[in-house]
Amino acid sequence: MLLALVLAALLIILLFARLRSSAREAASWGRQLRDLHEFTRRTLEMNLNLEPGPQLAELAHEIFALEFVAVFDADLHQVYSAGQWNADPQELARNVYYFGTSDDDPKAGLGRRVVRLGSAPIGSLVVRGATSPLTNDAIASLIAIAFDRYRAYANESRIETERRTEQLRSTVLDSLAHAYKTPLTAIRAASTGLGEMGHLSAAQAELVALIDEQAGLLGNLTTRLLTTARLDAGEITVHAVPVDVAPLIEEVVASLGECLASMKVAIDIPDERLTLECDRQLMVMLLTQYIDNACKYSIFGSTVTIRAVKERAEIVFSVRSFGQVIPINDRERIFDRYYRSTTRSHRASGTGIGLSVAKRVALIHGGSVWVTSDETEGTTFYAAIPATARKGVSL
Amino acid sequence: MMQPAIRILVVDDESAIRRALRPPLIELGFQVVDAMRGEEALQMLRAGGFDVVLLDVNMPGIGGIETLRRIRAFAPRLPILMLTVRDQEQDKVEALEQGADDYVTKPFSMRELVARIRTAVRRVRAPARAEDAPIQIGELRLDPVKRKVAKRGQLVHLTRKEFDILYCLMSRAGRVVTYARLLTAVWGDDCREEVEYLRTFVRQLRKKIEDDPANPVYLLTDVYVGYRFADPQMFVEESDEDVLPPAAEEETPI
Repeated sequence: MLLALVLAALLIILLFARLRSSAREAASWGRQLRDLHEFTRRTLEMNLNLEPGPQLAELAHEIFALEFVAVFDADLHQVYSAGQWNADPQELARNVYYFGTSDDDPKAGLGRRVVRLGSAPIGSLVVRGATSPLTNDAIASLIAIAFDRYRAYANESRIETERRTEQLRSTVLDSLAHAYKTPLTAIRAASTGLGEMGHLSAAQAELVALIDEQAGLLGNLTTRLLTTARLDAGEITVHAVPVDVAPLIEEVVASLGECLASMKVAIDIPDERLTLECDRQLMVMLLTQYIDNACKYSIFGSTVTIRAVKERAEIVFSVRSFGQVIPINDRERIFDRYYRSTTRSHRASGTGIGLSVAKRVALIHGGSVWVTSDETEGTTFYAAIPATARKGVSL
Repeated sequence: MMQPAIRILVVDDESAIRRALRPPLIELGFQVVDAMRGEEALQMLRAGGFDVVLLDVNMPGIGGIETLRRIRAFAPRLPILMLTVRDQEQDKVEALEQGADDYVTKPFSMRELVARIRTAVRRVRAPARAEDAPIQIGELRLDPVKRKVAKRGQLVHLTRKEFDILYCLMSRAGRVVTYARLLTAVWGDDCREEVEYLRTFVRQLRKKIEDDPANPVYLLTDVYVGYRFADPQMFVEESDEDVLPPAAEEETPI
């Protein structure tokens, strides 16, 4: 916006300088300058929610009293025209753009301009009327500025729209997850109730156990969705408290008992008294995700190594396991939401949400996440979290 | 010899949940009465005759917590179990502070629910345990007078605070004790926020009393709420479940 104003002002100053050198045309110039000023003002007031082309064509036609005007917007591939002429405005304006013809034909009263932003062509202008070549230059420049402002605005509102969509999605996820809870509770109560009542044959008991187990999986997924939705919506308040690293890790490992049962687990915390300031609940989520991930993607019965060390001002948590190497292209994107490796061998049960949660948790603590992966060293997920919560920042 | 059947009031606005709970509870020998709202439950309870209440936290109308508060006003000892959801830890703590005996997190298994119901009812029906009587749970034995703890007959050396924590939990075995309550009981009111402090002590305690401190069987964590000493019944043969437990395993009513 500011840039547009400065540019418009510069343009007018430039015109004034030229004006002094040709006093003869002073009268005509005076009017054209007033028109340019009016055009500048009106383009700055343009409705940025609408395409700029039609508005610009209409404004130019009206203000400069042109017979005809055509404006080509290269970005939208559209020609807009105002006024009457027996030529095809479409072809006319497109040709100016594609052949880069900027010229004036005073006899025909025709002016053609490539509309440029800096040196990049972004459209074209064709006018038929009494405007001078200098004024045509100025109109083309003002159109370039208007196009640019429109794009910047559109981009901004796109970002805003995305943010709102994300917010809406979070709300929907949240209410969905809540709506799932009741049926799940009824299913689980019913299936375990059948089991407790007894009198089931072995086959019946097996099916009841299956219902129970699957309802359990659905329940866990629902809970995870709920937390993710809250993290996304920024609805989670972070309560940073001093946390002992060793019991934190032990707790997570204990809670993952079932999933870790088939693995060897090595916990490596050289400094037993290591502490950090963090939101305990969120850190548990991060570590759970890393360890759960290691279980899912590693070779059955191999070792999962969980490590925590202090490096300068950060506590670096790492979870190392052995399985398929993560392709280098995936290593960054693996932390993105809904990203699942396209390599078939990497697929496992999961939602593609977990690691993005880990990333978000690290980020809101002012930390970072990354992964290394190769044949000999295995795959290691890292999370570096500042040992001390930033002062004065209510995380 | 036979105890009279336990009469349960199930209060939940979701009919699916009431319908799922009713058949197994009846089959297992309980008497079951349903209520859809807290207001309705209060009316029924005033008439009396219930041994335990299962009370949903999230209900339209006055809701679970307010219902709990009103029940407590006229029935201070009636066992009340709250039905809560996992991601609402604040509700659990609030319910416990308002006098709920315990909570069960949805979705729960029927075994867990029945065990909780029995523990709560047993606590009220049992004769009061003498304040200074030793507590034996599983292989652990705590003597409040001598301030000694033994595991499989072997003396376990505990610091004073460790003993206090263990005593507080063992005398309420089977029920969750919130962080705030435990901290207040052991360190006094000024420390009720120092949860991390407590965690460190619990970790030490587990090293001394658990066979595998990473997978505790005695000193259990109720995530985000507090700690719970394992229910004595868990260490008794399953077939004995319906029999009144021996006096040594009774707990002190608060």
